[in-house]
Amino acid sequence: MAERKAKIRSLSASLRLGGVLLLILVIVLILAAMLGAERLPLFDLNEQQQSILYDIRVPRILLGACVGASLAVAGAGLQSLLRNPLAEPYLLGVSNGAALGTMLAFVFFQSLEITRPLLAFAGAGLATVAVYRMAKSRAGMNVERLVLSGVIVTTFLSSVIVMLTTLLDAAKLRSFTFWLLGDLSQASLNGVYLSLGAVIIGTIILMSQARALNLMMVGERDAFDFGVEVGRVRMLVFGASSLVVGAAVAASGSVGYVGLIVPHLVRLTVGSDNRLVVPFSAIAGAIFVVFADTVARTAIAPRELPVGAVTALIGAPMFIYLLRKN
Amino acid sequence: MLEVREISVNYGERTVLGNVTLDLRDGEIIGLLGANGAGKTTLIKALNGTLSASKGKVNIDGRSIAGMSRREIAKNIAVVAQENETRFPVTVLEFVLSGRFVHGNAFGWETETDVDFANKALADCDLAGFEMRLMNHLSGGERQRVVLARALAAGAKILLLDEPTANLDLAHQAMMFRLVRRRCEECRCSAIVITHDLNLAAEFADEIIMLKDGRIAAKGAPTEVLTAENIKGVFGVNVLLDENPASGNVRVTSVY
Amino acid sequence: MRDKKNGAIVSVILAALALLTACRSGSVPSVGQVETGTPQESPATRPMRRVTDDLERAFLVPTKITRVISTAPSVTEMIFAAGGGDRLVGVTTFCNYPEEAKSIAKIGDTMTPNIETIIALKPDVVFVSTASQIEAFMKTLEANGIAVYVTDPQSLEGVIHNLDQLGIMFGTDQKTKPLIEDIQYRSMRLSVFTLQRDETPAEYEERVRPVRVFVQISKEPLFSVGKDSFVTEVIARAGGKSVTETVATSYPKLSKETALALQPEVIFLSASDDNREPNEVFKNSPAVKNGRFYRIDADILSRPGPRLVDALEQIAKYLHPEKFK
Repeated sequence: MAERKAKIRSLSASLRLGGVLLLILVIVLILAAMLGAERLPLFDLNEQQQSILYDIRVPRILLGACVGASLAVAGAGLQSLLRNPLAEPYLLGVSNGAALGTMLAFVFFQSLEITRPLLAFAGAGLATVAVYRMAKSRAGMNVERLVLSGVIVTTFLSSVIVMLTTLLDAAKLRSFTFWLLGDLSQASLNGVYLSLGAVIIGTIILMSQARALNLMMVGERDAFDFGVEVGRVRMLVFGASSLVVGAAVAASGSVGYVGLIVPHLVRLTVGSDNRLVVPFSAIAGAIFVVFADTVARTAIAPRELPVGAVTALIGAPMFIYLLRKN
Repeated sequence: MLEVREISVNYGERTVLGNVTLDLRDGEIIGLLGANGAGKTTLIKALNGTLSASKGKVNIDGRSIAGMSRREIAKNIAVVAQENETRFPVTVLEFVLSGRFVHGNAFGWETETDVDFANKALADCDLAGFEMRLMNHLSGGERQRVVLARALAAGAKILLLDEPTANLDLAHQAMMFRLVRRRCEECRCSAIVITHDLNLAAEFADEIIMLKDGRIAAKGAPTEVLTAENIKGVFGVNVLLDENPASGNVRVTSVY
Repeated sequence: MRDKKNGAIVSVILAALALLTACRSGSVPSVGQVETGTPQESPATRPMRRVTDDLERAFLVPTKITRVISTAPSVTEMIFAAGGGDRLVGVTTFCNYPEEAKSIAKIGDTMTPNIETIIALKPDVVFVSTASQIEAFMKTLEANGIAVYVTDPQSLEGVIHNLDQLGIMFGTDQKTKPLIEDIQYRSMRLSVFTLQRDETPAEYEERVRPVRVFVQISKEPLFSVGKDSFVTEVIARAGGKSVTETVATSYPKLSKETALALQPEVIFLSASDDNREPNEVFKNSPAVKNGRFYRIDADILSRPGPRLVDALEQIAKYLHPEKFK
């Protein structure tokens, strides 16, 4: 069984690109650790500065990387599965479902922190199923119907969230309003572990379905015909997406545009083979969010911007440009 | 060897396919004809398990497909359907290689064997040199040939083709049929081809089946089946029949 | 995605409106019809009196005021303190002090009071704070014979002035005069913490040694008070110095790194469920190490009303216990 790995589309070149991306990620992480509201020297940090670095900055940066990877990977998977380059956790209502779940966990199970990612996952999963059911018709999945269903579910959940916030008192309202726009400031090591675990599991699941997704990407019937268990793949991809999106949103609220822009850019560089797109999106997503968060916490220091606002400011023009190019 | 015994497919109350029985022997090509909506595509879908038959059985080499997983079925049957647009940037080679799905495992990369199959299939379909081009940049006809190449690369013994010449120009229409014929001879594969081109079917098919309203209206050798009555009954069209001077096979000419 | 874009547009519009309102609050709104006498009932039958509110608007109110409405909790407290509580016919849903306020009919919240409810209650005067978005409805209220008195006390002196005015308008001098004297006396005791005439800031620092204070509005996410907040001044008058006094806006979300570096000596927690203890970043600060963190009733900290002097005394006691022995 010693068959050599074939060279398709310069696999080795793609791997080299992967190495470069990882290097960029490491550089971005280091730079992010150096920048912040408080100036830190490179060496000889006193106790207070060490605390700033290790207790505050590092967990936040790591969480940002995990959240970015999660959202990008979910976007890549959903786009291939649903044959729609515009599919994205936020647009499909998955993020809002997770956000609603987290809010309900906060309101009803206040101190039990583990309930938040759990209910976020549940919310994400339910929203996904709702969108899918709504979009399905006897003739199969229609891509336009999907986008429409996604918009319906997203806006419906948005209104529910808004209603819930009007019933909260002023203090909770303030904290939720900021969080809903994407906020990495509550990063803790536990949150990082959870998020890291989720993104690793989710990415592995999606990579295991990458070949099947390559077929599903061109047509559901094609996938059936060539041996893909379409129902099973759908469940795994939806499940993995809900898992990573749930973990990300529970930790940091809704950060938008990552799942939309990052896989797009990755495909422009390495093509649509999901065996490459999925892992590369993870790395590129991490870079994107860590960068955006660094801007969010230094632009108006000592105050902070919500990181979701920064990703939107970067992502929206980029998205318009990408649309124009096609 | 494909054995189909009295299969029926229903959409709710409606019977779309009723009591279809046929045999597909190794090395044989069956031409499947009928008006639009007669149930041809439904039959193809029932044969590879995409649609489940409410009655009857389909056996591959003696084994019923009802007990097979999708992977197993795909190892034996490859489908060539209508090409459609891809919204993602996919190269021709990637597209064709994706047809090798059942030959690899989840995390695997393609092997030399896979690439060889793909390259040969591309060459057979007159697409050598197209490997790195994007599917979205090809014409409809070129894309259709890539779809055929994908099915050929899969290496299955039974090919089901659903109007494979619909978008092809004259040269490539005949090429398509010739290719299928050669493939069937080379590796003892067999094929069922849905087509609207009665003459091409007459040239290349060993057997012709005509479907009308989900049932078999006529089945047999081209000379037996392609009669003016049958054609009038199934298509509602008047035709003249004679002999093709080049090949000696039946030639059908519509009367306008 | 669409929501984000809409959200961004709405935020820009809101920010622009906020800027405009901030610029406006210093100006004098048009008095309009009010001076020529209120329409509706026959003006001759009801004796009127001329008053001027905090925005220097002059208008007429009945000499005998029987029905009033308040659109802010601080205003409700002042009306009760001034002895006019029995005349209150409408308050906001947040008015929770004193106890009696809770059973009065509700007219909405401070930001968006319900104009229809207000009119239906037929008040003589509506007392509003500058936080209420009521400018749009001034004309409607005037047309219904309802006077609008805008309160905007920026300090203890402002509170005293308002109490005085209320005493005159309600005819409750015998209640307000002693109250004002008490506040003035207590405020005098606290004046040791204010910058004296002829004193330089450096001398002030030397004499008072203001305590470095961090006011935590919420623990996670971390919100504090900034230079536009009323609370900053309260801290200063109590002999403290808010470590976030230079940060823009009223309630900034603060970087945890900055918070850690600030090392406050005292932390005040504005009491609410999500704010029971100082944020972890303060664990090595002098405040936490010395156990000098205190919960303060959020209401008295943020309402410029009669309990303001209570807040000042309480805070001063926490900050400079040695001066109160």
